[in-house]
Amino acid sequence: MGNLSPQQQLVIQRMFGYGAMLFVVLLIGLPLFWMLSGSLKSTQEIYSTDMQWLPSSPLWSNYREAWEAAPFGRFYWNSIVITLFGAGLEIINATFTAYALAYLRFPGKNLIFILILAALMIPNQVTILPNYVFFGSTMQSLIGESWINTYQAIILPGASVAFGTFMMRQAFLGLPREVIDAAKVDGAGHFRILKDVVVPMGKPVIVTFALISLVAKWNDYLWPLVITQTENMRVLTIGISYLFDAEGNNEWGVIMAATFFVVFPLLIVFLFAQRFIIDGLTAGATKG
Amino acid sequence: MAETGRTGTAAIDESLVIARPRGGRNIFSKEWILFILFVGPNLFLFSLFSYWPMIENVRLSTQRWDLLSPVRLPVGLDNFEYLWQNSTFHKVLWNTLYFTVAAVGISLALGLLVALLLNQRLRWRNGARAVVFAPFMLSGAAIGIVWAYIFDPRFGFLAEMLGWFSIRSPDWLNRPEWAMPAIIIVYIWKNLGFTTVIFLAGLQGIPQDLYDAAKIDGANVFWRFRSVTLPMLSPIAFFLVVTSILSTFQSFDIISVMTDGGPVDSTNTLIYYVYEQGFVAFNAGRSAAAALVLFVLMMAITLVQLRYSESKVHYG
Amino acid sequence: MTTTKINRRSIVKGAAGAGAAAAIGSKASSVFSAPAVIQSGPLEVTYWTSFEGGANGDAQDELVKRFNESQSDIQINHEFQGSYEETAQALTAAVQGGSTPDMSLLSDVWWFKFYLSQLLQPLDDYIAAGNVDSADYVDSLWNEGVRQGAQYWVPFARSTPLFYYNADALNEAGLDASIFQNWDTIVENADALMVKDGDQTTQFAFGHPNAASYIAWLFQGVIWQFNGEYSDPDFTINIDEDAGIEAGNFYRDSVENGWAGATEDHVADFNTGLFASIMASTGSMGGIRENATFEWATAFLPEKYTFGCCTGGSGLSILASADDANKEAAFEFIKFSTSVESTSYWAQQSGYMPVRKSAIDSEEMQAFYDENPNARTAVDQLPQTEPQDSARVFIPNGDQIIGGGLEQVTVSGADAADAFAEVAGILEEEAQPILEQLEALEG
Repeated sequence: MGNLSPQQQLVIQRMFGYGAMLFVVLLIGLPLFWMLSGSLKSTQEIYSTDMQWLPSSPLWSNYREAWEAAPFGRFYWNSIVITLFGAGLEIINATFTAYALAYLRFPGKNLIFILILAALMIPNQVTILPNYVFFGSTMQSLIGESWINTYQAIILPGASVAFGTFMMRQAFLGLPREVIDAAKVDGAGHFRILKDVVVPMGKPVIVTFALISLVAKWNDYLWPLVITQTENMRVLTIGISYLFDAEGNNEWGVIMAATFFVVFPLLIVFLFAQRFIIDGLTAGATKG
Repeated sequence: MAETGRTGTAAIDESLVIARPRGGRNIFSKEWILFILFVGPNLFLFSLFSYWPMIENVRLSTQRWDLLSPVRLPVGLDNFEYLWQNSTFHKVLWNTLYFTVAAVGISLALGLLVALLLNQRLRWRNGARAVVFAPFMLSGAAIGIVWAYIFDPRFGFLAEMLGWFSIRSPDWLNRPEWAMPAIIIVYIWKNLGFTTVIFLAGLQGIPQDLYDAAKIDGANVFWRFRSVTLPMLSPIAFFLVVTSILSTFQSFDIISVMTDGGPVDSTNTLIYYVYEQGFVAFNAGRSAAAALVLFVLMMAITLVQLRYSESKVHYG
Repeated sequence: MTTTKINRRSIVKGAAGAGAAAAIGSKASSVFSAPAVIQSGPLEVTYWTSFEGGANGDAQDELVKRFNESQSDIQINHEFQGSYEETAQALTAAVQGGSTPDMSLLSDVWWFKFYLSQLLQPLDDYIAAGNVDSADYVDSLWNEGVRQGAQYWVPFARSTPLFYYNADALNEAGLDASIFQNWDTIVENADALMVKDGDQTTQFAFGHPNAASYIAWLFQGVIWQFNGEYSDPDFTINIDEDAGIEAGNFYRDSVENGWAGATEDHVADFNTGLFASIMASTGSMGGIRENATFEWATAFLPEKYTFGCCTGGSGLSILASADDANKEAAFEFIKFSTSVESTSYWAQQSGYMPVRKSAIDSEEMQAFYDENPNARTAVDQLPQTEPQDSARVFIPNGDQIIGGGLEQVTVSGADAADAFAEVAGILEEEAQPILEQLEALEG
């Protein structure tokens, strides 16, 4: 290395960088490619000992078959409703709670922080039955009607947020104090500071969390499966299970096509959100 | 709004001293009301849908109940005694440790490496980041199906690739010694994008002048990494360690789809055991006891982390 | 999509036939001394099922559609709840939340659980009032749903294990199907059915599933063939006796000696030629027909010292919590679904067994069997099948406990004496609460 000019060193460094990047992209991307290619293969082709990178003739009918196996249009609608409301409530809850934990004074604040962290550690499996009973018998006796098989029952247990609160609190604590001090000196109240200072500056973390929240709501399976009872209330992830055969004879090509239905909207959202994250991150980088 | 603002102004300096354990012995202030207003809805929902079920769970752990019969038999600490003596449960604890340490360790290390790579001024790095992040968004259940196909020792993609190097593919999901590594690989593949993006955000938040100053001091690349990057990343790393441990502890979909905890319980982790005892074996009491063990373990890890890190973490 | 179509049609029909419905309703109510309710449309009955998509799901949809069109006062709304296990979970949650359906499909290992908690409706009054010819149901299948002389579970999608083999592989080995009559002749000829590529086996003579794919169900017949049993009807666990251990070590040796493999989805591995023969559900026949790329055929399960084969699958139950009128209507659907005509249709579409003797003997089914000799094997084997041992179907999680022991034997090469001793210990412990509940319920 010693006798290389800095220019040459830079070239080697770059080449190494691009090589590594290509390797990482292939490592992560190939399984996704494999899913897409599988969604266009026949079952025979999937179970063929000489591996095909691409299907010999793409079997688009897998997508039609998957779409016709269950009312996927309705599933899409339901997924969109519960994702938008669920993630929306989470983002609002997380932002306000994180702000309060980072900037507001309150006796026993640390205890509340730990209490919220503790919620992160309560496994879903534990809450399913009591929550179900709450929306069923308890609601029945409280308001005279059961909320089982309703949107609000799918959404509400997931509207409280520990992870996002934790994530945003960490980020808010990292914001430069001078800016907030300055806002306070200018006489701004907490709502103003939140709206005009913390949210714009914390945009990267808020957007990142929003994305995580959207993804989690969209992919949620166990709770929507249990709390919904009829086809017209099911969400998209459960649609995949409409394609599994009770006796284990599965058409993998069709199942992978259904998997694509679930994945596709997220990829689209991500394509757009990607832009936001980049802007946010760049802003964060130049600001320092 | 204006009034709230004035009160806020009065309280500026103290409220901003984060490390201070208590907010002093203030009389009831508007800031408190604001705090309750901001935190209240979240806490209310938690009380209803998380804390209360957890308290129920504590009660359930001292009972024998099949989730159906009207009678819940009080059995004291029998469920815990059962777990204490049960060899399957010991195996479950070991599996959980194995999975957590390997999955968290590797995904953090790789995530940092990839983040450092993508922090270079390379063309297409945003595209690469998008690809790396993509698996994080896919449903674990769907991913499990695809990976089961990739791991197939005869038709799988991995068998083909290993074949290029004349390595014979193990029968990943049907061998007790290979099933857990397979699950770990899938977990890392799925979550690498998350650690990468978070680390990347951390890296980009490090002010350039710190590096410039270190350069002037004559620090080389590695020393700059040690003296600037690592300390500045510590809050992010702390966040990632805690959330990754919690996420591996609760990683359920992949295991459920790919192995059902098998073969011979080799991928049966605490969270899967909680589910299996509750909803497959219908031993609500044992499931609750195991869930409590899970909860206490997670709480302990987090508290230790919190104590250790909140004091040492460097907030940029 | 089908559902909406049915709904619209039924509503129109319901409006037109409201008068008739009221008439029939009042007639039926006299039998059960329930007050006559005048309805303004068809009575909606909720039915939870595990069948959706594929041949089985389509056939289920069709049966519901036929029923709804056959009359105008009852409308069945069938709702898919996932696998057998997920359906049982959903029903458990529904019981706690007070939102149970009127009727549910329950598998062999689940219905008893709900019976024990007194959640299922005894059906005898309905059977008598509906003039159901219970003697025409295949006896062994019918009797499995009887407790204390009362019927709780009506056979619907019932299956048995069946032996499937790759006829092409057999021909290539120069063997004929008679070797599959006994495990000893299978072992003797196993080498001829193996194909190796270097040191890697590309074709095993036989294949086992794992615990999650119901190995304990398939081994039920095998342990009988070795003159053993999981347990006796009184929950005395006998899996760890000599006969059971011999059967278990036979499984272990099959893998240790290299002629059998053990995988997660052994039916798929049969379809792709990895296993030259397997035992699998009759309900898997449709998928094998569709996916196997070679000539295949079926046979009775092999014998050892004797023949042994069990029943399995799922049946229909009515929830005790349903309204009387709904119970009555739900039973109409059960009656319809297990009628000679429906069970014949269902069996041909799905591969499950016809549950009616006269259906098996009917011209329609005989013609079907002539065309599908592989399906005939299953129905010929049916009279020799028996209900499973209590340890698997009545002890909660018994299937998975035994399956776990079998996995230790096949996957880890454990001695069956050790593995089954452990299994027996767990089964005995888990049987205790059931015994107490049974004592309280049945005396």
